[in-house]
Amino acid sequence: MKRRRKREAKTTRKLLYVVERDVRLFFQYKVMVIMRAIWFVSQIAFFGLIASRMVAVEDYFRYYVGGLSIMTLYSAAIFIGFDIYEEAEHGVFEYLLSLPVTRRQLVLGRSIGGGLRAFIYVGPLVCISLYVIGIVNPLNFLLALFSLFLFAFGVSGMSITLAVVIKSSDRFDILMGVLDALIVRLSTAMYPLSFVKEANPLYGWIANFNPVTFAADLFRWGAGIEAALSFENPLLPFLGIVMFFAFFTFLGIILYDKTIEGGGWR
Amino acid sequence: MPPIIRTENLTKRFGNFTAVDHLNLEVNEGEILGLLGPNGAGKTTTILMLATVIRPTEGTAYVGGYDVRKNPDKVRELLGVAFQEPKLLWVSTPWDVVNWHAKVCGLSTQERKRRVREVLEALDMWDYRHRSVHALSGGMRKRVEIAKVLIQRPKIAIVDEPTAQIDIVGKHKIWRMLRELREEGTTIILATNELYEADVLSDRVGIMHRGKLLVCDTPQKLKDSIVGGDIVEIQFESDPSPKIVEELEHFREVVKIIKTKASTLRLYLNRVEEVVPKIMSTLMKEGVAVSSIRMSEPSLDDVFAHYTGLTLEEAQKEGG
Repeated sequence: MKRRRKREAKTTRKLLYVVERDVRLFFQYKVMVIMRAIWFVSQIAFFGLIASRMVAVEDYFRYYVGGLSIMTLYSAAIFIGFDIYEEAEHGVFEYLLSLPVTRRQLVLGRSIGGGLRAFIYVGPLVCISLYVIGIVNPLNFLLALFSLFLFAFGVSGMSITLAVVIKSSDRFDILMGVLDALIVRLSTAMYPLSFVKEANPLYGWIANFNPVTFAADLFRWGAGIEAALSFENPLLPFLGIVMFFAFFTFLGIILYDKTIEGGGWR
Repeated sequence: MPPIIRTENLTKRFGNFTAVDHLNLEVNEGEILGLLGPNGAGKTTTILMLATVIRPTEGTAYVGGYDVRKNPDKVRELLGVAFQEPKLLWVSTPWDVVNWHAKVCGLSTQERKRRVREVLEALDMWDYRHRSVHALSGGMRKRVEIAKVLIQRPKIAIVDEPTAQIDIVGKHKIWRMLRELREEGTTIILATNELYEADVLSDRVGIMHRGKLLVCDTPQKLKDSIVGGDIVEIQFESDPSPKIVEELEHFREVVKIIKTKASTLRLYLNRVEEVVPKIMSTLMKEGVAVSSIRMSEPSLDDVFAHYTGLTLEEAQKEGG
């Protein structure tokens, strides 16, 4: 029993070290971190402010700020896939694979690390959002934050999965652009679901099952922007995010193991 | 004692190219085994398979009794690898790299701090520990790479060209530290294409060429395996008599005698260190005056040439 507990503690520690490495690494890309923060603030200060005067949606500015936080979280969590290519280029990948950690610990740690660093990065930006939006119910907000946490893990798991499957940084870059267009644009990050449905029922259907929609609307629900939510019961988008996280983490572990350990990366 | 590493027909193919071809090798616990061969000989691929980074196409290897195919996680628990190319991201610092490595290898906080400082200082990297990797020279990056294994002190250390790009003083430091690591009980596999490094560090040397292991033995035995590989040049004060030449020819170890100058004989023989005292005592008994004697034994390059038909330099060019 004691030995088992010791082994479990060792396993957890190793997992945390993998997480720690990815979090530290992200903040070493200082220029990128600063540029993205400037982009976020500019989007609020310019686009959000100006667009809200053009759009006939009630309280669109606050609606947009909520969505923008999720878009930023999404793009920061995606970054782990680019890290994988950077590591492959510098041979760090082989190093990571030679370490005394299991493949499962490695991919799970990286998935969590990728999500956590995105979350830490978006944290101050979320604070800015909250300052702009204002919180109504702190309990709702905590639940929303937790689901955002899982959403970020899911996105980073998805990014790892795609990176190891695609094996080419150029193709990955293009795919991420396309995915961004599909996942973010066909969600409620920037516009309410009713407008998406109105434009095209298929768009509406996709947006309805889109994890970005779940995350954006849960965040708004937590922050008290309830004017144009896509759901009545917050449990459904929460479960959607849990499924998204679980699916890509599980798939990531399998593909990482099959593709990488077999030497299939090269 | 059973070997700590054993490979059984270990093979790796990349498409039509066979990088490692049915490798059968045994590494004894506590020894330094040098894998000597030119670039493209299959040394690094062998190492990557032993480290469970890539999976063999055929055959397998047992590391510490664990099969690399079936128990890769157990194998990695025993290993520490210093790669040929330093595996560092340009945004990292030496401190980040080695400190994190020590953590993930399970060193306690106190031990980690002590060893990191000790090793970085010994490698003259302490003052550069917070510099970005991109600001370091190739030799410094290589030191960071080897520092990982020296800090980790694994049961089995695999070092791939550990002193490439490092100056001569640094090379000697690293060799000393690798010897100390071995003395502490670590088994070391040293992959190198530097003959001198393989010769001075290795207890045994395995010569690899075109993915195959040609021979594996102690450096001395490998040198002795070349028939007539040792050379002794004896300069006499006067022309040696035919009787003396005949007596020298009677030594079992002497393969050939050539008269290079009027008073000089060149003997091609085996096991020079054993036979020279006997030759000297014969000459003294016969009252022959010798003005000088010069000995040379074959280098590992000669051994490599003996087994491959190519010098290491030629093989290097062939391998690209």
